[in-house]
Order: sequence, then C-alpha cells, then structure tokens
Amino acid sequence: MQNTMAVELNEGELALVETYRTLIKLLRERDEDLAPYQRRNALKAVAALWQVMNGLDLDPEQIYDIGA
Amino acid sequence: MSESPYWNPRHETMPRDQIEALQTRKLKNLLAWTEARVPWHLNRFRQAGVSADSIRSLKDLQRIPMMTRDEWMEAQLQEPPYGPLLAAPPETAVRYHLTSGTTGSIPLQVLDSMKDWEWIAEMWCYGFWGFGVRPPDTVFFAFSYGTFVGFWGAHYAAEKIGCMVLPGGNMTTEARVKQILGMKATVVCSTPTYALRMAQEAKTMGVDLPGGHVKRLILSGEPAGSIPATKRLIEEEWGARAADTAGMTEVGTIMMFECEKQPGGTHIIEDNYIEEVVDPETGAPLPYGEMGERLITSFGRGFIPVLRYRTRDLVVRVPANHCSCGRTFDIYEGGIRGRVDDMKLVRGTNVYPRAIEAIVREFKEIDEFRIRLYTEDGRQDEIEILVEIPDGDGAKADRILKALAKALSEAHEGLRFGVKRAENGSLPRFELKARRVQDDRIVIGTAGERRGS
Repeated sequence: MQNTMAVELNEGELALVETYRTLIKLLRERDEDLAPYQRRNALKAVAALWQVMNGLDLDPEQIYDIGA
Repeated sequence: MSESPYWNPRHETMPRDQIEALQTRKLKNLLAWTEARVPWHLNRFRQAGVSADSIRSLKDLQRIPMMTRDEWMEAQLQEPPYGPLLAAPPETAVRYHLTSGTTGSIPLQVLDSMKDWEWIAEMWCYGFWGFGVRPPDTVFFAFSYGTFVGFWGAHYAAEKIGCMVLPGGNMTTEARVKQILGMKATVVCSTPTYALRMAQEAKTMGVDLPGGHVKRLILSGEPAGSIPATKRLIEEEWGARAADTAGMTEVGTIMMFECEKQPGGTHIIEDNYIEEVVDPETGAPLPYGEMGERLITSFGRGFIPVLRYRTRDLVVRVPANHCSCGRTFDIYEGGIRGRVDDMKLVRGTNVYPRAIEAIVREFKEIDEFRIRLYTEDGRQDEIEILVEIPDGDGAKADRILKALAKALSEAHEGLRFGVKRAENGSLPRFELKARRVQDDRIVIGTAGERRGS
C-alpha cells in the first residue's frame, strides 16, 4: 500500500492504518453496541491515530461526525 | 532501530518539491472542507473567484482572500459567541479557549474537538522532540492553566512523549522554584520573562539554579526567546539551553520551534501549515531574507478553518539549510521579530520594544524595566526607560544609566532616551505576556506621527 506521496508503507505502518480503519468502522456502524467506556476510549484512540494517518500522508477525513 | 532526532522523520526531511506537493494537496482538501461547511468562507471564496477545484499549485494560494483578526472579531460579534466560522457542531468540542492577544479589545474564542486537541499536542511534540526532550525527562510547566491556551498543548505533548509532567499552576514563584529543584525537573516551560523571574527568585532564595538538574528550557509566549541577549541571560542564569517556540490561539498551538542545533531561528512546521511572508502594506509576497508579515494557513484544527490569516507578526524567512539539523523545514531567522502594530515612531525614528529589551538585557545589573512614551509640553514625543537596579549603589547605578542611554541612542539613529532609575520592586512583574510599554502620548498634535500604537 502506498500513501498519497507514492511512498510504500511498511508493515508497522500498515498495522496502524488497519487499526484506525477498524475503529472508524466500528464507531460509525456499531456505535450502539458499545458501552460508554468502550465508545469513549475508542474515540480517544481514534483521535490519536488520526495523527498517525495525517503524518503518513493518507489524508484522513474529518471525524467530527463520530464525535472526535 | 536507532532513535530518530525527528518526530516525523519522513516529513521533516522531505525535499522542497515534495513539501510543496503535500501542501498543495492539503490546501485543496482544506478548501473543499471549508466550502462545504462554512458559508461565511464560501462567500468570500466566491467573491475572490477561487474554489477547491481550481487549486493546482501553491501559486493558487494567493488567490485566496486574506483573513484578518478584525473580520474574525466582527463575525463573532454578529453571531456570538463564535461567529459563523464553525465547521462542526459546538457540541463536538471538548475544549474552549480564549486568545490572550495583546491587540484588540475583545477576546477571540475557539473550540477544539478530541481530534483537534490531539493535533494541538502533536505540534508541540515536533518542538519538544526536536529540542531533545525525551523520556524520562521531568517537565515543569510554569503556567496558570486557565482559558489562555498557552502551554496546554505542550503539557499533553510532554505526556504523549512519555515524560513526567509537573503542572505548576496556582503556585507562587518561590513554590515553583522549590518544586523544580525538589522534583529534579530537567525541562522547564515558561515565558522568557518568567524564566528570568524564576532565576531572580532562586537568587533571592540562595539557590544554585545552574547547579540543578534543569537542562532545557522551552520558551513561548513572547518574542524574547529569540532575542540573543535575553536568551543568553536565561541560559546563563539557569545553566541550561533555551529553545524558542511560537504559537497562537487562532490555530491553538505552535507553528514553529527551535531545534537542538539552535540555528538562531525557528523551524516552521511545514507539513501542517503554509506560512507566507508578505509586505504588510501591499500584501505582496516577499523573498527569503526580507522582513515581512507572516500569513498562516493551518491544516490542523478543522473546527475553525484558518486560511491566509494575517498574524501581524514580523518575520524573516530563510531556507532550511541555514541549520545543520537536516530538517528541510524553512526557518524564521530570529523567530518572531516584532509586530506590525508594535512599532513606535518616536520623533521620526522607528522603535521596537523588542529591540529595546535586547539592549537592556545586555546590562545584567538591571532586574526589571519599563518603556514609557509621553508627550512633552503637548508637542514632542519622548521616550524614557525606567529600570530597577537592585544591587547598585548611587555611583554604580549612574554609570549603568548613562551607558544604557548611550547604547539605546546609538542603536536608534541618535534618538534621545531618558533613562531613569526606578525604586526596587516598583515596576510590575509578569508571568505571562509582559506589557512593558506604557504609551501616554497625545495622539493629535504631537511631533511624531503615531503608527499602530
């Protein structure tokens, strides 16, 4: 997988991307399944991982809609 | 894998053409987001004939209208409290802050979401990491932790890096000094003025600050962190190295930081901002090496998009290769040099308070000072410097006053400065932004025309 600057991501970076996408999907689609402590901690994690996506040049979209 | 000296190694060492490609892409995204979410901006873009689709290169940046603080303030007044500038619902916010700006009469209010707040800390991480702060450093914050955003982001950056954080709010200066020593803090964050104040307090307490554990000071909030004489004094009195940073409430965090090589300036965090330097009168772009006003476009806080915001800060931009650290982020040589609206015109001579401070700080015997401008006989602008010299007897103090008056005059085209001694402890002390200029001049009818004062 390459970022928007055509740089190939390494395995560690790919794992972070996957984690971020999984959490985003969870918060968008299964939000109601989560207990307050699960949802709020997942949001905190997404807010931090957004910085990684940004630093990796993957142009993450804004995530205000999920509360982050 | 050896530890990188850069927080984001790929970005901080990116060739210039790639930085520009990254900035162009992010600019396009920012415009698209802003167009879709902020009608106030959309109208301005339409009037200027610019849209996200029309952004092809960084040259297109200049087609975007500049934004001023006055416009921001006016928008807030029209639709209190935030104005029609929010791109996300206020209920998404987790932080509220005010500007502590030294210009303007009403505060500027901002909101941040969870993600924005993380980004704010992220920008500080560039600065902390770049100046060599690492776990297990113990970082003391001489900061009041109020609605002024100040070192809030830095606090979270230090936590993110893995340092021990000592939040030094609501403490006397003596208590702060004691905690710095008692907890063996290795990094101290404060304004330049307050770093000197703490050093003074340590002397009063009979404490050997340079003999302590503090190795680094991270300075912010005033331009003095890049004034060589002030910085030298801070470094001597603390026995530590000092790095300048500069930020603003309008973007919530820092835009520039000084790296470990201390090149005499601050690197611009170019993967998260576009910084332009323009002629403050005409708005025309200026080349490397020329002093002008900085405009900022931020890719961080999406809550309140900031595009081509006129900061009124005066800077001189030089290429990244003026520093040997290997970063490709350009540098503001000498940090922020002053304010467009900070300059005083005294009998035809330009006077920058910052420049005066640099000269005053050459005299180590001077503890505190104040710049007073007044109108003599209703006709002529005068400038006087009041100084406190705690340990000087009459003759010694007289020599210092004369030498200072001479140095100031020589640096200002022969302008006459009245330099007077003030009673010890009579001048105000500052924890945050120092306000040492008192302008009592009569505006109309004076010999010197007032500019931005």
